[in-house]
Amino acid sequence: MSVAISISGVSKDFRIPGSKRRLRAVDNLCLEIEKQTVFGLLGPNGSGKSTTIKMALGLIRPSQGNCQILGKSSLDPAARMGIGYLPEAPYFQRFLTGRELLTYFGKLSGVPKSELGGRVVRLLSRVGLEDAGDRRVGGYSKGMLQRIGLAQAMVGNPELLILDEPTAGVDPIGAADIASIIRELRDEGKTVLLCSHLLSQVETICDRAAIMVKGKLAIEGAVESLTAASESSSARIDGLTTDARKRLEAFAKEGQLKMSTHRRSLEELFLELSKGASD
Amino acid sequence: MRLFLAMTGLAICALASSFLFREFNFGSSELKFIADFGFGGMTLFGSALAIIVTAQLFLGEIEHRTAMTLLAKPVFRSEFVLGKFLGVWVTVACFIGMLTLCLVLALWMRESSIRLEYPEGFEQGQRLVQYGGIIWFSLAQVFRIGILCALVILFSTYATSSLFAMVMGVLVWIVGQLQHIAIEARGVVDSLVLKGIYSAVGFALPNFHLYDVGEGLAMGEVLPISLVGKLLLYGALYSAFYLAVATASFNRREL
Repeated sequence: MSVAISISGVSKDFRIPGSKRRLRAVDNLCLEIEKQTVFGLLGPNGSGKSTTIKMALGLIRPSQGNCQILGKSSLDPAARMGIGYLPEAPYFQRFLTGRELLTYFGKLSGVPKSELGGRVVRLLSRVGLEDAGDRRVGGYSKGMLQRIGLAQAMVGNPELLILDEPTAGVDPIGAADIASIIRELRDEGKTVLLCSHLLSQVETICDRAAIMVKGKLAIEGAVESLTAASESSSARIDGLTTDARKRLEAFAKEGQLKMSTHRRSLEELFLELSKGASD
Repeated sequence: MRLFLAMTGLAICALASSFLFREFNFGSSELKFIADFGFGGMTLFGSALAIIVTAQLFLGEIEHRTAMTLLAKPVFRSEFVLGKFLGVWVTVACFIGMLTLCLVLALWMRESSIRLEYPEGFEQGQRLVQYGGIIWFSLAQVFRIGILCALVILFSTYATSSLFAMVMGVLVWIVGQLQHIAIEARGVVDSLVLKGIYSAVGFALPNFHLYDVGEGLAMGEVLPISLVGKLLLYGALYSAFYLAVATASFNRREL
């Protein structure tokens, strides 16, 4: 079995308080995420990404369809044995130190006591918090919270990591460090489901990506193919002198200037799909 | 922790104040007066602590979204519910344990000074206060408040704010204290509908009045162990029932 997450025909409706109407947050979503890949789940705010993640984690039940994690129903707590989850804007027990927090989550993840201590030390070092491990989480900065959150997601050595905005609030150096950890995780054979608004980063980290718009899957595929050459093309050359421009025009008229279409970025595709849906 | 210390401090102050009021003991025995203050503080502050801490501990995890990270681990929701219950229950048990110690100490000090003042009133080695009975009584109160904790957890599983769970906890505590009235009324009304309503209330909500058995402990009365056993069983059954319903309710809750 090479599928880590299988979402088939999943819809989620939320009751609007004080009304008989329902809000469809996710609409007939079908998605398969292969093992040992880094998959980017993108979409504008309110597109249903977080709801999809919550259904994958069994925190909410789908109204229709079913969701399988590592071959088990997402509603089965045993399926979560192989998952590490970093929530968006993580908030942890403020009175625990970083070390205690990782130990606590390690125990919940079923890590044997004999391995736990060493693993906690390694993880603190891996996320760059070795000097802050004995400080209370309540005093951590936003970036440090993301780092300790990433460490708690990895503490159970899970097969699948679900990371919701792992670089939100992290400075560029920290974001690059986290991107590097995600790449290492893929090299270790882990599957990573990543939600992020840093599209340039997603483009460089992810193997495959999907864009959700208004609860529906707008597009899904390998990042390489999503950013393939588009039909529209344009070129711009800055800093040409008048003389150089004349020579270039003459060169083009002689038919010696070869043109090639440009690859669109994931950001361009994202904006195109998001705007298209809102028009 | 701050709330726990504040409640403990208040309860100890209430107990200490019984020494000041002993001249105004309304005709009761002085030792009984101290014991009543201690038992009252134990029940009142213990219940307040249970209601506030349970609602804050349970709903705090949901409001601060720490429950999401926790339940994304291989943790059953029943384990979450039971863990929260045990956490609060142990806290309340510590509170009652500390108050019991203070109460026993206060009674022993006063009884010893009375023995010195009026040695003729005591036979050799005789003690007025049933100290063993006070410990059994306190254990029964731990189970009484355990029921309250389980009820507040039940309300918290579907409440969206801790205030709602706390208000419901206070209401149920009042109804539970007065429940014996409904039980007595069941025997005197003729209407089958009213009988049914009283029976339903009598079954669905615990009768906290059953636990008020410390009346004569400072006057030499013995608390039968069989009665304590029944109270512990009653508390365990009601707590288990409410926790089972709370788990079913929490399983349906979307985080």
